[in-house]
Amino acid sequence: MRAVCWHGKHDVRVDSVPDPQIVRNGDVIVKVTLTCICGSDLHLYNGYNPAMKKGDILGHEFVGEIVEAGSGVTRFRVGDRVIVPFPISCGACWYCRHELWSLCDNTNPNSWMMENIYGDTGAGIFGYSHLYGGYSGGQAEYVRVPFADVGLEKIPDGMPDEQVVLLTDILPTAYQAADYCNINPGDTVAVWGCGPVGLLAMKCARHLGAERVVGIDRFPDRLKMAHDQCQADTLNYEEADVAKELQNLTGGRGPDSCIDAVGMEAVGTGIEAAYDSIKQTLRLETDRSSALRQLIRACRKGGTLSISGVYAGFIDKMPMGAIFAKGLTMRGGQAHVHKYLPRLVKLVQEQQLDPSFIITHRMNLEDAPQGYRIFNDKEDSCIKIVMKPQPSAAALPAVEAPAAGI
Amino acid sequence: METSETERSRQSLGQSQKQVNVGPAERKASMVGGAALAASGVRSLVKGKYLPGLAMIVAGGMFLYRGKTGHCDLYQAMGVDTVHTHDSGLHIEKVVTIGLPPQQVYEFWRNLENLPQFMRHIDSVQVTGERTSHWKAVGPGGLTVEWDAEMMEDTPGQQISWHSVGSADVPNKGTVEFKQAPANRGTEVRVSIDYYPPGGAAGKAAAKAAHGINAQQLEEDLKRLKQILEVGEQTTARRTVQ
Repeated sequence: MRAVCWHGKHDVRVDSVPDPQIVRNGDVIVKVTLTCICGSDLHLYNGYNPAMKKGDILGHEFVGEIVEAGSGVTRFRVGDRVIVPFPISCGACWYCRHELWSLCDNTNPNSWMMENIYGDTGAGIFGYSHLYGGYSGGQAEYVRVPFADVGLEKIPDGMPDEQVVLLTDILPTAYQAADYCNINPGDTVAVWGCGPVGLLAMKCARHLGAERVVGIDRFPDRLKMAHDQCQADTLNYEEADVAKELQNLTGGRGPDSCIDAVGMEAVGTGIEAAYDSIKQTLRLETDRSSALRQLIRACRKGGTLSISGVYAGFIDKMPMGAIFAKGLTMRGGQAHVHKYLPRLVKLVQEQQLDPSFIITHRMNLEDAPQGYRIFNDKEDSCIKIVMKPQPSAAALPAVEAPAAGI
Repeated sequence: METSETERSRQSLGQSQKQVNVGPAERKASMVGGAALAASGVRSLVKGKYLPGLAMIVAGGMFLYRGKTGHCDLYQAMGVDTVHTHDSGLHIEKVVTIGLPPQQVYEFWRNLENLPQFMRHIDSVQVTGERTSHWKAVGPGGLTVEWDAEMMEDTPGQQISWHSVGSADVPNKGTVEFKQAPANRGTEVRVSIDYYPPGGAAGKAAAKAAHGINAQQLEEDLKRLKQILEVGEQTTARRTVQ
C-alpha cells in the first residue's frame, strides 16, 4: 500500500509499504477513505519529536471502511464505515473506566519512554512517534486499528467523510477545550490560535453558551475566518497589546477562560519571543511558550486556562506568580475523544455544529509532501488539508482541483 | 571518564579479594576478568564508546569467560548464606497497580509457568515439585542461565517469596506482594528481587552499571502483566503479524 512516511525534518515521502494485518483478535483493518494533516503533525514535521524513526507512517485523523475484522470484534462487521479516535484505548483500565480515555494505561507499548520523561504514560496514538507507542498512522491506504470495539464509532448513513473526519481529533479536542472552560452565562472565552482547533473551539464555546469569543492570531486570513465563521472578536497580537485589549473588551475584568490552541511552537513578539526561539534552537528549552504566558497574564481572577495545544517538555519564564495571585485553574491534555464522540456525532448530524468549514485544501495522498509544506508555511490561506488515499483523481470532489494554489 | 571507571572497578576488584573468602581459582578468574575489563576499556576508548556500552561489554565479557571456563561452581562453594549477605547483592524493586482483586492476580502469578508470558528475559519456568521450579533465562550477551528455585513463603492472595538453590548461575531471591488498593483500584503488586551476579565484585560493578536496564526490564515486565490481566493480552503496535 501507499503511506506517508516520516524521513526526517521537513522530509515526508509517500512510500510503498507492506499492508497491515490483523495482529490481535480485537483488531480491524480500516481502508482509509479520508485523512487529514493535523497541526500537531507539524511538530513531527519540524523535527521536535526525537522519538520518530525513518519510515514511520504518519497521521492520526482518518475515517474509512472496515475491510477485515478480528475474531474478537463484536460491534462491527466488514463494510461498516467508521470514525477512528486518535487515542487508542483499552477500555478496561481505571482511566478508561473513568472516561479519561487518552490517559489509558495499557495501549502504549513504549510506556517506559514516557514514564522516564513525564513520570507516567498516556494512551498510544496512531502515527505519533514511538513516545506514543509507535503505532502506524492513518495517512495511508490501510490501517491496523486495535481495540475496535472500544474505540470506533459507526458513521451514520448519509454523513459525508469531510464532516466526520474532523470528529477523529480536532472537533473533540476543541470541544474538550471549551468544556474545560466551565462556561457560564455572560462568559467571554479568549482563544489563542485561529487554526483548525482554535476556530472549532470558538464554535464549541459559543455552542456551550459563551456570550463572546475572542480569536487571537497574526494571520489576517485566519482572523477573518474567526470573525466570519465563529462570530468572534479578533486581535492581531503583532499589532495589539493582547492582555490590554482583552481587558478593554471585558470591562476591565479579563476573559473568564482562555484556551491555548497554539502549543509549543508559539511565535510571539519582541524580546520574549526571541529568547524562546534562541533557547529552543539551542535545545535549552523544548517548548516556546509566549502564547501560554499571555493566557496567564490576560485571564481574569479565578478563571480557567484550558490547554489544547501540544506541549512536549519544558518551558521557561513561567509566570507562576500570576497563576497563584489570580487563583487560576489550569486544565489540559490530549482529548478524551471516546467520551465526546457520540454527542458530537449527533450535533454534527443535526447540523447544530458543522466543522467542515475549516477544510481549505483537498488533495491526493500522493501530494502529502506538498501538503505538509504549504500547511507548515501557512501558504495559500491553508487551514486544513484533507487527503484521499485512492490515487484515482476522478474520486476527488470537484470543489477544488488538487493542485490548485500550490 | 572511561579510565576512572576502569580504575574504580579495579579497586573494587581488589577489595573483593580481601573481603570475600575465595580460593585461588576465583582469584584467577577475577584477574582474567579484570584484564578483560581493562582491555574492553581500551577498545572502547579507541572506538569512542561511552560508559554504558563499556559496562555492558565488560559484563558480557565476564559472563562469557565464566561460561567458557566453567567457573560457576565457585558460588556453590560460597554457600547461600555468604551470597545472600545484604551488601553483596543488587536490589531492584518495582510496583504496579492492576485493576483486579489480589486473589486473582496472586493466582495468575502462583501458576509459575505463566511468568514467561510477561517476563521477557525468562525463557521458561518448569514446576518440578510442590515448592520447587526450574528457571531458564537469557542473560547479558545472549547467554542462557539456569537455576532451581524454591518457594519459601506462599500466602494465598498476599505474598509469594522464593530463592534460588544449588549452583545457580545467578543466585537470586525475591518477593512479590499483592496488596488491596483503596476504593476498587485493584491490587498493588510489589516485586523486589535481590540477585548476585557472578564474577565477584567486578561482575557486580559491571552489573550495577547495567542495573538501570534491569530495573527497567522489571518495570516493563510488570506493565505487560498488567496488560495481560486487565486487557487479556499484551498490547502491541506491530502492523503485521511478523
